[in-house]
Amino acid sequence: KPALKFELLAKCSTTRARASNLTLPHGPVPLPIFMPVATQASLKGLTPAQLEATTCRLCLNNTYHLGLRPGQPVLDAVGGAHAFQGWNHNLLTDSGGFQMVSLLKLANITEEGVRFLSPHDGSPMLLTPEHSINLQNSIGSDIIMQLDDVLVTTSPDKERMREAMLRSVRWLDRCMAAHARPHDQNLFCIIQGGLDLDMRRECTVAMLERDTPGIAIGGLSGGEAKADYCAVVKAVTELLPEGKPRYVMGIGYPEDLVVSVALGADMFDCVWPTRTARFGNAVTRRGVLNLKQARYADDFGPIEDGCGCVCCRPAGEEGALGVTRALVHHNSAKETAAAHLLTMHNVWYQLNLMREAREAIVGDRYPAFLRRFFRDLHGDKERYPAWAVEALRGVGVDIIQDD
Amino acid sequence: MTSDSDQNTMRFDLLKASLADGAGARLGRLAFSGSRTVETPTFFAITSRGAVPHVTPDNLEKHVPVQGTYIALEDFVERPQANLTRTPPIFKTPATPTRPRPLHNFTATPYSTLTLLAARRLPAVASPQGNTPSGISIFTSTGFQTLSTAAYQSAVATLKPDMAIPLADLTNSPTTPNSKRAARMAERTEDWLAQWLLSSSSQTASSETTTAIFAPTLPVPYAMQWEYLARLADDFASDIAGLAVYSSDIIPDLANHPALAAKPRLSLDAPATPHHVLRQIALGADVFLLPFVNGVSDSGVAFTFQFPAPAAAVSEAEEGNGTSLLPLGRDLADPSFAAQVKPLREGCDCYTCTAHHAAYVHHLLSAREMLGWTLLQIHNHAVVAEFFAGVRRALAEGTFAEESGRFQLRYEAEAPAGTGERPRARGYHFKSEGGDGKRNKKGWGKLGPDGEEATGLEGRVGGLKVEEVEKRLERDLTETPVVPDGGGRELEEGGFAEIEKK
Ligand SMILES: [Zn+2]
Ligand SMILES: [Zn+2]
Repeated sequence: KPALKFELLAKCSTTRARASNLTLPHGPVPLPIFMPVATQASLKGLTPAQLEATTCRLCLNNTYHLGLRPGQPVLDAVGGAHAFQGWNHNLLTDSGGFQMVSLLKLANITEEGVRFLSPHDGSPMLLTPEHSINLQNSIGSDIIMQLDDVLVTTSPDKERMREAMLRSVRWLDRCMAAHARPHDQNLFCIIQGGLDLDMRRECTVAMLERDTPGIAIGGLSGGEAKADYCAVVKAVTELLPEGKPRYVMGIGYPEDLVVSVALGADMFDCVWPTRTARFGNAVTRRGVLNLKQARYADDFGPIEDGCGCVCCRPAGEEGALGVTRALVHHNSAKETAAAHLLTMHNVWYQLNLMREAREAIVGDRYPAFLRRFFRDLHGDKERYPAWAVEALRGVGVDIIQDD
Repeated sequence: MTSDSDQNTMRFDLLKASLADGAGARLGRLAFSGSRTVETPTFFAITSRGAVPHVTPDNLEKHVPVQGTYIALEDFVERPQANLTRTPPIFKTPATPTRPRPLHNFTATPYSTLTLLAARRLPAVASPQGNTPSGISIFTSTGFQTLSTAAYQSAVATLKPDMAIPLADLTNSPTTPNSKRAARMAERTEDWLAQWLLSSSSQTASSETTTAIFAPTLPVPYAMQWEYLARLADDFASDIAGLAVYSSDIIPDLANHPALAAKPRLSLDAPATPHHVLRQIALGADVFLLPFVNGVSDSGVAFTFQFPAPAAAVSEAEEGNGTSLLPLGRDLADPSFAAQVKPLREGCDCYTCTAHHAAYVHHLLSAREMLGWTLLQIHNHAVVAEFFAGVRRALAEGTFAEESGRFQLRYEAEAPAGTGERPRARGYHFKSEGGDGKRNKKGWGKLGPDGEEATGLEGRVGGLKVEEVEKRLERDLTETPVVPDGGGRELEEGGFAEIEKK
């Protein structure tokens, strides 16, 4: 019996977009959803209360980072990552394998696990599916991820890709066997197979047989063409059962989110909105504004007009700060507090985008939502990205056409 | 120079003074328009570029129990190379009838927090250029520039802080000026203040936007400034709301000027430790600015002191190190806090201590996560606020002198040096020459003793060029290392993977 409840609320009558309620051990989460990444048990200067105020109810921690700091013994002593960071809502953790494989030159995958040299002292290390699950059990995250054999999707080695895909399935079995807390932690499988749609389908079928509480699509966001990305998501969601949440890993640009939702995905995570805040970039419905630019120095408007976040609502309203672009400009790259303000705004933006998508799906207005989204973002239709236009045509929406 | 605006600005009531002439430790209350009151002795938080370091305005309002912030104009008036003639944006800040103070509006300071505007940061970086008869040299993020008395006064009139300190002719150097220089400081400061009061009497301000003026007294011997102080008392007393005291040594001498005795004293003679704060309170200082609070938070240390000091029996059990002295704080970067599921200080009811515990703050410091410094700022400001509340209770009960003595005996002289890696130098407080600042090696204890010190932690951050500072900030802000450092043993002990034995 899974430690979650998934309730499908509405389906778009044109696209594959879905609105649903996911209830996890630490409370309900409306889908579709964007999940910000609090890598080291902290979201870049925000207190858990401030993160909560962005309406976030599910965020990520990275298993590798928590293993290193504070480490399993402390997590066990403190009673898991929720208690450790004072976060009473839901957490999702990755397996930790991605960092090893994508970032360490010397990682080497064998059937046993990921072999790598410790970045600090070069000791030969082995990370197995059992290690990953055991540590995620100590972390106590509401959603845990299987260790997978992940290759960059653009890898030309089809044999190796197939080996990785099949190994990921076998590793899921080992993860399930090692999982000590299925009653209160949900283990998600990760579908692999690169950009080869048949391989993705084969993997999907094999993963579905394992009947995990949720399903992730992995190995994307690695530099593949957007059209290829969309093709994979579309091919996989086609085979997925309606009654489970679908998570596309590592996706976070607003355009990617709204298109992926149209293709039938529900959950996304990415460091981009919080990382870019630290460079003075505000994510808005009209695009990304770099508030470090001189023209914002005496711009006394809110970061984004009409935004409902704590920063942007006019001062005087309950709990609102009336932060101006001029203030962010003044302190961007000079005081950390300015970055914290932008982080709050950007996370709110991402969550609100998904909330508006959800409302549009429930009201069966998702195609109109998409048209408005692209019009606000690009203005001129000439500037709409071809991959998005094509991908949306593939699910029955022509965003070039007027409402 | 009329005094009819007096009723509209801040009022100060001396509730209890140990001596009849207002000298010695005293209990008071500042009353501002909008029925905001501040019980004294107290302290205001020090901002950098308008922000209490690491604290966003929402956290300031909800979790930092200070009633005022100190803001330096030099943080806002830089002239970028690309636009040397621009009007600093802060002067264009809109105001509305319900939000009439542009300084609050620009910095998003909550209106429940009072603002105190001064020309220079505290402590200020000494300028190689020195001051002139028409104004002072200030240090902005684009370098030194001059600030005339007229421009500063106009800035105060435009920005409408709740309180402001008119310009003083200061050297901002740790060495005492010679008598010629000291005499000139007093003359210039007097001239500048006279000009200020003369021109401000011709301006009218609504009662909602008055600015209480704290006239500077100088960090020179009384003999060098008694004429100036006499002029303050005789001619200006009704126009100034309080005194900005740059050296607390002068406080006892203020008794010679009865018209000044009942004015609140804002100490800019930044004390280096709580012990020094108590000494200045004993002299009769009312409102404090404490650069050491921001510095201690940056060093990863959480204050643990209390006033009155706890009884000896309790403390020995707590402490167990054989000495009878209690530490002022604890270095949370110390590995002993790794699994400590306790508040930063037992019994502290601040946000940090009620929502989190020492183990988490330790983790944030060791992971260089910015939230660590935020949580320390919240806690340390709360501890200091509670310290002042304790002082006021003792003053009310008449036990201050006794408790102050006990505090001095119970606590160590200095807070422990933090071993955690610090955030990069904030703002632009770096000097233009010299080697890389030793910021990450220096403990808080390196702050000099009272009186010697014109530059604290922030002032002496050495040697970083602008680009370097920005690069460092970028590191603080952006880098959650994707693959953090960690040896094989740490990875194995942390439960992430095992070392392969071959
Ligand atoms: Zn906003
Ligand atoms: Zn506390």
